Amino acid sequence: MMPGPPDSDEELLLRIRSGDEEAFLGLYRRRQGAIYRFILHMSGSAAVAEDITQEVFLALLRSECGYDPARGTLSGYLFGIARKLVLRQVERGRSDVTLDMDSEEAPLPELAVIQDPLGDMAHRERLEALRRAVTTLPRRYREVVVLCDLEEVDYAEAALALNCPIGTVRSRLHRARALLLEKLNRERPAHAVSALKPARILI
Amino acid sequence: MSCQEFWKRLAKPPGAELDLDAEQRAHLAACPACPAHLARQRELAAGLRLVAEGFKSLKAPARVEEGLLRAFRAQNGLPVYTNRSRWTLAAGWAMAAALLLAAALFLTDLRQPAPPRSAPVLAELASDTELAAMEADGFIPLPNAERPGPNDELNMVRMEVPRSTIVELGFEVSADRDSDRVEADVLLGADGLARAVRFLE
Repeated sequence: MMPGPPDSDEELLLRIRSGDEEAFLGLYRRRQGAIYRFILHMSGSAAVAEDITQEVFLALLRSECGYDPARGTLSGYLFGIARKLVLRQVERGRSDVTLDMDSEEAPLPELAVIQDPLGDMAHRERLEALRRAVTTLPRRYREVVVLCDLEEVDYAEAALALNCPIGTVRSRLHRARALLLEKLNRERPAHAVSALKPARILI
Repeated sequence: MSCQEFWKRLAKPPGAELDLDAEQRAHLAACPACPAHLARQRELAAGLRLVAEGFKSLKAPARVEEGLLRAFRAQNGLPVYTNRSRWTLAAGWAMAAALLLAAALFLTDLRQPAPPRSAPVLAELASDTELAAMEADGFIPLPNAERPGPNDELNMVRMEVPRSTIVELGFEVSADRDSDRVEADVLLGADGLARAVRFLE
Protein backbone atom coordinates (compact mmCIF):
# COMPACT_ATOMS: atom_id res chain seq x y z
CA MET A 1 0.00 0.00 0.00
CA MET A 2 1.29 3.45 -0.89
CA PRO A 3 1.92 5.73 2.10
CA GLY A 4 -0.55 8.59 2.30
CA PRO A 5 0.47 12.21 1.94
CA PRO A 6 2.38 13.57 4.94
CA ASP A 7 0.34 15.39 7.52
CA SER A 8 0.19 19.15 7.15
CA ASP A 9 1.77 21.30 9.84
CA GLU A 10 -1.67 22.17 11.12
CA GLU A 11 -2.67 18.51 11.41
CA LEU A 12 0.53 17.77 13.26
CA LEU A 13 -0.20 20.62 15.64
CA LEU A 14 -3.60 19.12 16.47
CA ARG A 15 -1.95 15.80 17.24
CA ILE A 16 0.67 17.57 19.36
CA ARG A 17 -2.13 19.12 21.40
CA SER A 18 -3.31 15.61 22.27
CA GLY A 19 0.17 14.57 23.42
CA ASP A 20 1.40 12.83 20.25
CA GLU A 21 5.19 12.78 20.56
CA GLU A 22 5.72 11.51 17.03
CA ALA A 23 3.78 14.47 15.66
CA PHE A 24 5.90 16.87 17.68
CA LEU A 25 9.12 15.34 16.41
CA GLY A 26 7.74 15.32 12.86
CA LEU A 27 6.91 19.00 12.94
CA TYR A 28 10.19 19.90 14.60
CA ARG A 29 12.28 17.97 12.07
CA ARG A 30 10.36 19.44 9.17
CA ARG A 31 10.73 23.08 10.25
CA GLN A 32 13.77 23.37 12.49
CA GLY A 33 16.38 23.82 9.75
CA ALA A 34 14.80 26.89 8.19
CA ILE A 35 14.00 28.41 11.59
CA TYR A 36 17.54 27.80 12.83
CA ARG A 37 19.12 29.31 9.71
CA PHE A 38 16.84 32.33 9.83
CA ILE A 39 17.84 33.02 13.44
CA LEU A 40 21.50 32.41 12.60
CA HIS A 41 21.35 34.91 9.73
CA MET A 42 19.58 37.46 11.88
CA SER A 43 21.56 37.08 15.10
CA GLY A 44 24.98 36.10 13.75
CA SER A 45 25.43 33.66 16.62
CA ALA A 46 25.07 29.89 16.56
CA ALA A 47 24.50 29.84 20.32
CA VAL A 48 21.66 32.34 20.03
CA ALA A 49 20.24 30.40 17.07
CA GLU A 50 20.25 27.23 19.16
CA ASP A 51 18.58 28.84 22.16
CA ILE A 52 15.93 30.63 20.16
CA THR A 53 15.12 27.60 18.00
CA GLN A 54 14.40 25.75 21.21
CA GLU A 55 12.26 28.61 22.52
CA VAL A 56 10.27 28.79 19.29
CA PHE A 57 9.22 25.16 19.51
CA LEU A 58 8.67 25.35 23.26
CA ALA A 59 6.22 28.16 22.55
CA LEU A 60 4.19 25.69 20.49
CA LEU A 61 3.77 23.48 23.53
CA ARG A 62 2.18 26.22 25.57
CA SER A 63 -1.59 26.16 25.58
CA GLU A 64 -1.70 29.91 25.01
CA CYS A 65 0.66 29.78 22.03
CA GLY A 66 -1.70 31.99 20.05
CA TYR A 67 -1.45 30.43 16.61
CA ASP A 68 -4.50 31.27 14.50
CA PRO A 69 -4.78 29.24 11.27
CA ALA A 70 -7.04 31.94 9.83
CA ARG A 71 -4.11 34.36 9.84
CA GLY A 72 -1.69 32.19 7.90
CA THR A 73 0.52 29.13 7.94
CA LEU A 74 2.11 27.60 10.99
CA SER A 75 5.49 28.01 9.33
CA GLY A 76 4.95 31.77 8.99
CA TYR A 77 3.86 31.88 12.60
CA LEU A 78 7.04 30.06 13.71
CA PHE A 79 9.21 32.48 11.73
CA GLY A 80 7.28 35.31 13.41
CA ILE A 81 8.05 34.00 16.89
CA ALA A 82 11.68 33.50 15.92
CA ARG A 83 11.89 37.06 14.62
CA LYS A 84 10.40 38.53 17.80
CA LEU A 85 12.78 36.56 19.98
CA VAL A 86 15.77 37.61 17.87
CA LEU A 87 14.75 41.25 18.11
CA ARG A 88 14.40 40.92 21.85
CA GLN A 89 17.84 39.32 22.00
CA VAL A 90 19.39 42.05 19.89
CA GLU A 91 17.79 44.71 22.07
CA ARG A 92 19.34 43.06 25.10
CA GLY A 93 22.66 43.35 23.30
CA ARG A 94 23.64 39.73 23.67
CA SER A 95 24.42 39.29 20.02
CA ASP A 96 25.69 41.46 17.26
CA VAL A 97 23.24 42.57 14.62
CA THR A 98 25.47 41.51 11.78
CA LEU A 99 26.61 37.99 11.10
CA ASP A 100 30.04 36.90 12.12
CA MET A 101 30.17 33.65 10.25
CA ASP A 102 33.94 33.52 10.49
CA SER A 103 33.79 32.80 14.17
CA GLU A 104 34.56 29.29 15.35
CA GLU A 105 31.03 28.56 16.50
CA ALA A 106 29.57 29.04 13.05
CA PRO A 107 31.80 27.50 10.43
CA LEU A 108 31.14 28.69 6.91
CA PRO A 109 29.64 25.91 4.85
CA GLU A 110 31.10 24.95 1.51
CA LEU A 111 29.37 27.05 -1.08
CA ALA A 112 30.13 25.33 -4.35
CA VAL A 113 32.61 23.06 -6.08
CA ILE A 114 34.00 24.11 -9.43
CA GLN A 115 36.79 22.40 -11.35
CA ASP A 116 38.62 25.50 -12.64
CA PRO A 117 40.76 26.77 -9.69
CA LEU A 118 41.00 30.38 -10.87
CA GLY A 119 37.38 30.47 -11.85
CA ASP A 120 36.59 28.71 -8.60
CA MET A 121 38.42 31.40 -6.65
CA ALA A 122 36.62 34.19 -8.43
CA HIS A 123 33.35 32.38 -8.02
CA ARG A 124 33.94 31.84 -4.33
CA GLU A 125 34.97 35.45 -3.90
CA ARG A 126 31.79 36.62 -5.56
CA LEU A 127 29.67 34.34 -3.41
CA GLU A 128 31.56 35.42 -0.32
CA ALA A 129 31.01 39.05 -1.27
CA LEU A 130 27.31 38.38 -1.73
CA ARG A 131 27.07 36.58 1.58
CA ARG A 132 28.84 39.51 3.26
CA ALA A 133 26.51 41.93 1.54
CA VAL A 134 23.48 40.07 2.88
CA THR A 135 24.84 40.07 6.43
CA THR A 136 25.49 43.79 6.38
CA LEU A 137 22.05 44.77 5.12
CA PRO A 138 19.96 46.75 7.58
CA ARG A 139 17.83 44.40 9.65
CA ARG A 140 14.49 45.10 7.91
CA TYR A 141 15.98 44.31 4.52
CA ARG A 142 18.07 41.40 5.66
CA GLU A 143 15.12 39.57 7.18
CA VAL A 144 13.12 39.79 3.98
CA VAL A 145 16.06 38.60 1.85
CA VAL A 146 16.74 35.71 4.22
CA LEU A 147 13.09 34.67 4.24
CA CYS A 148 12.19 35.14 0.58
CA ASP A 149 15.48 34.60 -1.23
CA LEU A 150 17.45 32.24 0.98
CA GLU A 151 14.64 30.21 2.57
CA GLU A 152 12.23 30.62 -0.37
CA VAL A 153 9.32 31.51 1.87
CA ASP A 154 6.41 32.93 -0.13
CA TYR A 155 5.39 36.55 0.26
CA ALA A 156 2.21 35.78 2.25
CA GLU A 157 4.14 33.69 4.77
CA ALA A 158 6.86 36.34 4.98
CA ALA A 159 4.20 39.00 5.58
CA LEU A 160 2.85 36.98 8.51
CA ALA A 161 6.33 36.47 9.92
CA LEU A 162 7.25 40.13 9.55
CA ASN A 163 3.83 41.34 10.66
CA CYS A 164 3.38 43.61 7.66
CA PRO A 165 1.32 43.69 4.45
CA ILE A 166 2.45 41.71 1.41
CA GLY A 167 3.04 44.97 -0.45
CA THR A 168 5.58 45.94 2.18
CA VAL A 169 7.35 42.62 1.72
CA ARG A 170 7.58 43.28 -2.02
CA SER A 171 8.86 46.82 -1.65
CA ARG A 172 11.39 45.88 1.00
CA LEU A 173 12.63 43.01 -1.12
CA HIS A 174 12.97 45.33 -4.10
CA ARG A 175 14.93 47.82 -2.03
CA ALA A 176 17.02 45.07 -0.44
CA ARG A 177 18.08 43.74 -3.83
CA ALA A 178 19.01 47.22 -4.99
CA LEU A 179 21.14 47.62 -1.87
CA LEU A 180 22.80 44.26 -2.46
CA LEU A 181 23.69 45.24 -6.02
CA GLU A 182 25.13 48.53 -4.79
CA LYS A 183 27.26 46.73 -2.24
CA LEU A 184 28.45 44.18 -4.77
CA ASN A 185 29.34 46.88 -7.28
CA ARG A 186 31.41 48.65 -4.66
CA GLU A 187 33.31 45.45 -3.85
CA ARG A 188 33.64 44.12 -7.39
CA PRO A 189 37.10 44.50 -8.96
CA ALA A 190 37.36 46.70 -12.03
CA HIS A 191 37.66 43.81 -14.50
CA ALA A 192 34.47 42.28 -13.24
CA VAL A 193 32.41 45.42 -13.57
CA SER A 194 32.26 44.88 -17.29
CA ALA A 195 30.07 41.90 -16.57
CA LEU A 196 27.43 44.29 -15.39
CA LYS A 197 27.34 46.31 -18.60
CA PRO A 198 24.23 45.94 -20.76
CA ALA A 199 24.16 42.52 -22.30
CA ARG A 200 21.93 40.70 -24.66
CA ILE A 201 19.36 38.78 -22.71
CA LEU A 202 18.17 35.38 -23.77
CA ILE A 203 14.54 35.12 -22.93
CA MET B 1 5.08 50.43 -21.64
CA SER B 2 7.15 52.41 -19.15
CA CYS B 3 10.05 50.99 -17.15
CA GLN B 4 7.96 51.24 -13.98
CA GLU B 5 5.16 49.24 -15.56
CA PHE B 6 7.64 46.67 -16.81
CA TRP B 7 9.02 46.03 -13.33
CA LYS B 8 5.65 46.17 -11.65
CA ARG B 9 4.32 43.48 -13.96
CA LEU B 10 7.30 41.27 -13.24
CA ALA B 11 5.48 39.57 -10.41
CA LYS B 12 8.22 37.30 -9.16
CA PRO B 13 11.87 38.14 -8.73
CA PRO B 14 13.71 37.57 -11.99
CA GLY B 15 15.27 34.14 -11.62
CA ALA B 16 16.42 31.55 -14.11
CA GLU B 17 13.05 31.41 -15.80
CA LEU B 18 11.39 34.50 -17.15
CA ASP B 19 7.79 34.60 -18.17
CA LEU B 20 7.45 37.82 -20.14
CA ASP B 21 4.47 38.83 -22.20
CA ALA B 22 4.74 40.48 -25.61
CA GLU B 23 4.58 44.01 -24.20
CA GLN B 24 7.39 43.35 -21.78
CA ARG B 25 9.52 41.83 -24.54
CA ALA B 26 8.90 44.84 -26.68
CA HIS B 27 9.89 47.12 -23.82
CA LEU B 28 13.12 45.22 -23.26
CA ALA B 29 14.01 45.46 -26.92
CA ALA B 30 13.50 49.21 -26.92
CA CYS B 31 14.63 50.32 -23.46
CA PRO B 32 18.30 51.28 -23.04
CA ALA B 33 18.34 50.67 -19.26
CA CYS B 34 16.04 47.77 -18.36
CA PRO B 35 17.96 44.92 -20.08
CA ALA B 36 21.08 45.67 -18.04
CA HIS B 37 19.09 46.06 -14.88
CA LEU B 38 17.29 42.79 -15.54
CA ALA B 39 20.61 41.03 -16.18
CA ARG B 40 21.95 42.28 -12.85
CA GLN B 41 18.82 41.17 -11.04
CA ARG B 42 19.05 37.71 -12.58
CA GLU B 43 22.73 37.46 -11.67
CA LEU B 44 21.89 38.45 -8.12
CA ALA B 45 19.06 35.92 -7.91
CA ALA B 46 21.37 33.17 -9.14
CA GLY B 47 24.01 34.17 -6.57
CA LEU B 48 21.45 34.17 -3.76
CA ARG B 49 20.34 30.69 -4.76
CA LEU B 50 23.95 29.49 -4.50
CA VAL B 51 24.38 31.15 -1.11
CA ALA B 52 21.15 29.49 0.04
CA GLU B 53 22.43 26.12 -1.21
CA GLY B 54 25.57 26.58 0.86
CA PHE B 55 23.52 27.07 4.01
CA LYS B 56 20.92 24.36 3.37
CA SER B 57 22.77 21.75 5.39
CA LEU B 58 22.85 23.89 8.52
CA LYS B 59 20.49 22.58 11.16
CA ALA B 60 20.02 22.96 14.89
CA PRO B 61 22.27 20.61 16.91
CA ALA B 62 20.76 17.33 18.12
CA ARG B 63 20.75 18.55 21.72
CA VAL B 64 17.99 21.02 20.85
CA GLU B 65 15.74 18.13 19.82
CA GLU B 66 16.65 16.23 22.97
CA GLY B 67 15.81 19.22 25.15
CA LEU B 68 12.49 19.72 23.41
CA LEU B 69 11.66 16.04 23.70
CA ARG B 70 12.31 16.18 27.43
CA ALA B 71 10.05 19.21 27.75
CA PHE B 72 7.32 17.54 25.69
CA ARG B 73 7.44 14.36 27.75
CA ALA B 74 7.46 16.22 31.03
CA GLN B 75 4.44 18.23 29.92
CA ASN B 76 2.54 15.12 28.86
CA GLY B 77 3.43 12.99 31.86
CA LEU B 78 5.65 10.62 29.88
CA PRO B 79 8.94 9.15 31.15
CA VAL B 80 11.62 11.73 30.50
CA TYR B 81 14.21 9.53 28.86
CA THR B 82 15.99 10.14 25.63
CA ASN B 83 17.40 7.31 23.56
CA ARG B 84 20.90 8.17 24.63
CA SER B 85 20.10 8.38 28.33
CA ARG B 86 18.19 5.08 28.43
CA TRP B 87 21.37 3.03 28.14
CA THR B 88 23.17 5.16 30.68
CA LEU B 89 20.24 4.80 33.03
CA ALA B 90 20.05 1.04 32.57
CA ALA B 91 23.75 0.69 33.27
CA GLY B 92 23.35 2.87 36.36
CA TRP B 93 20.44 0.78 37.62
CA ALA B 94 22.40 -2.42 37.07
CA MET B 95 25.38 -1.13 39.04
CA ALA B 96 23.17 0.16 41.83
CA ALA B 97 21.31 -3.14 41.96
CA ALA B 98 24.56 -5.08 42.22
CA LEU B 99 25.75 -2.93 45.09
CA LEU B 100 22.43 -3.10 46.92
CA LEU B 101 22.16 -6.83 46.52
CA ALA B 102 25.66 -7.30 47.83
CA ALA B 103 24.92 -4.98 50.78
CA ALA B 104 21.66 -6.77 51.60
CA LEU B 105 23.33 -10.15 51.60
CA PHE B 106 26.22 -8.85 53.69
CA LEU B 107 23.86 -7.43 56.35
CA THR B 108 21.91 -10.64 56.49
CA ASP B 109 25.09 -12.51 57.12
CA LEU B 110 25.99 -10.16 60.00
CA ARG B 111 22.73 -10.68 61.85
CA GLN B 112 23.07 -14.38 62.58
CA PRO B 113 24.04 -17.55 60.88
CA ALA B 114 20.75 -18.65 59.48
CA PRO B 115 19.84 -22.27 58.93
CA PRO B 116 19.50 -23.28 55.32
CA ARG B 117 16.34 -21.72 53.97
CA SER B 118 14.62 -23.23 51.04
CA ALA B 119 11.82 -20.68 51.17
CA PRO B 120 12.99 -17.82 53.37
CA VAL B 121 10.55 -15.29 54.72
CA LEU B 122 7.86 -16.28 52.27
CA ALA B 123 5.91 -18.30 54.76
CA GLU B 124 5.21 -15.29 56.95
CA LEU B 125 4.16 -13.26 53.97
CA ALA B 126 1.99 -15.82 52.30
CA SER B 127 -1.07 -13.67 52.51
CA ASP B 128 0.63 -10.87 50.65
CA THR B 129 -0.55 -11.13 47.06
CA GLU B 130 2.33 -9.15 45.61
CA LEU B 131 4.84 -11.42 47.22
CA ALA B 132 2.89 -14.44 46.15
CA ALA B 133 2.96 -13.17 42.60
CA MET B 134 6.69 -12.57 42.83
CA GLU B 135 7.19 -16.08 44.14
CA ALA B 136 5.13 -17.49 41.32
CA ASP B 137 7.57 -15.82 38.97
CA GLY B 138 10.48 -17.46 40.71
CA PHE B 139 11.63 -14.39 42.69
CA ILE B 140 13.01 -14.69 46.19
CA PRO B 141 12.32 -11.67 48.44
CA LEU B 142 15.50 -10.28 49.92
CA PRO B 143 15.87 -10.34 53.70
CA ASN B 144 15.16 -6.95 55.29
CA ALA B 145 13.80 -5.62 52.01
CA GLU B 146 10.61 -3.60 52.15
CA ARG B 147 7.48 -5.44 51.07
CA PRO B 148 6.15 -4.25 47.77
CA GLY B 149 2.81 -2.47 48.03
CA PRO B 150 -0.05 -2.95 45.61
CA ASN B 151 0.76 0.27 43.76
CA ASP B 152 4.54 0.04 43.90
CA GLU B 153 6.40 0.34 40.63
CA LEU B 154 8.98 -2.41 40.28
CA ASN B 155 11.76 -2.44 37.71
CA MET B 156 13.63 -5.57 36.77
CA VAL B 157 17.37 -5.47 36.06
CA ARG B 158 19.35 -8.44 34.78
CA MET B 159 22.86 -8.80 36.18
CA GLU B 160 25.59 -11.29 37.06
CA VAL B 161 26.29 -12.17 40.68
CA PRO B 162 28.88 -14.46 42.27
CA ARG B 163 27.57 -17.97 42.86
CA SER B 164 28.47 -17.54 46.54
CA THR B 165 25.58 -15.10 46.96
CA ILE B 166 23.16 -17.92 46.26
CA VAL B 167 24.36 -19.57 49.43
CA GLU B 168 23.40 -16.46 51.39
CA LEU B 169 19.82 -17.01 50.32
CA GLY B 170 19.78 -20.56 51.57
CA PHE B 171 20.56 -22.58 48.48
CA GLU B 172 23.12 -25.31 48.49
CA VAL B 173 25.97 -24.78 46.09
CA SER B 174 29.17 -26.74 45.78
CA ALA B 175 32.02 -24.82 47.38
CA ASP B 176 34.46 -25.35 44.54
CA ARG B 177 32.38 -23.18 42.19
CA ASP B 178 31.98 -20.23 44.56
CA SER B 179 33.79 -17.86 42.27
CA ASP B 180 31.60 -18.61 39.23
CA ARG B 181 29.08 -16.00 38.23
CA VAL B 182 25.40 -16.61 37.56
CA GLU B 183 22.80 -14.50 35.88
CA ALA B 184 20.04 -13.11 38.05
CA ASP B 185 17.03 -10.82 37.68
CA VAL B 186 16.75 -8.25 40.45
CA LEU B 187 13.50 -6.43 41.20
CA LEU B 188 14.05 -2.81 42.21
CA GLY B 189 11.52 -0.60 43.92
CA ALA B 190 10.82 2.97 42.87
CA ASP B 191 13.38 4.06 45.50
CA GLY B 192 16.06 2.07 43.68
CA LEU B 193 16.42 -0.52 46.47
CA ALA B 194 16.45 -4.22 45.62
CA ARG B 195 13.31 -6.14 46.68
CA ALA B 196 13.78 -9.63 45.28
CA VAL B 197 16.07 -11.73 43.16
CA ARG B 198 15.57 -14.59 40.69
CA PHE B 199 18.44 -16.79 39.56
CA LEU B 200 18.35 -17.86 35.98
CA GLU B 201 20.48 -21.01 36.20
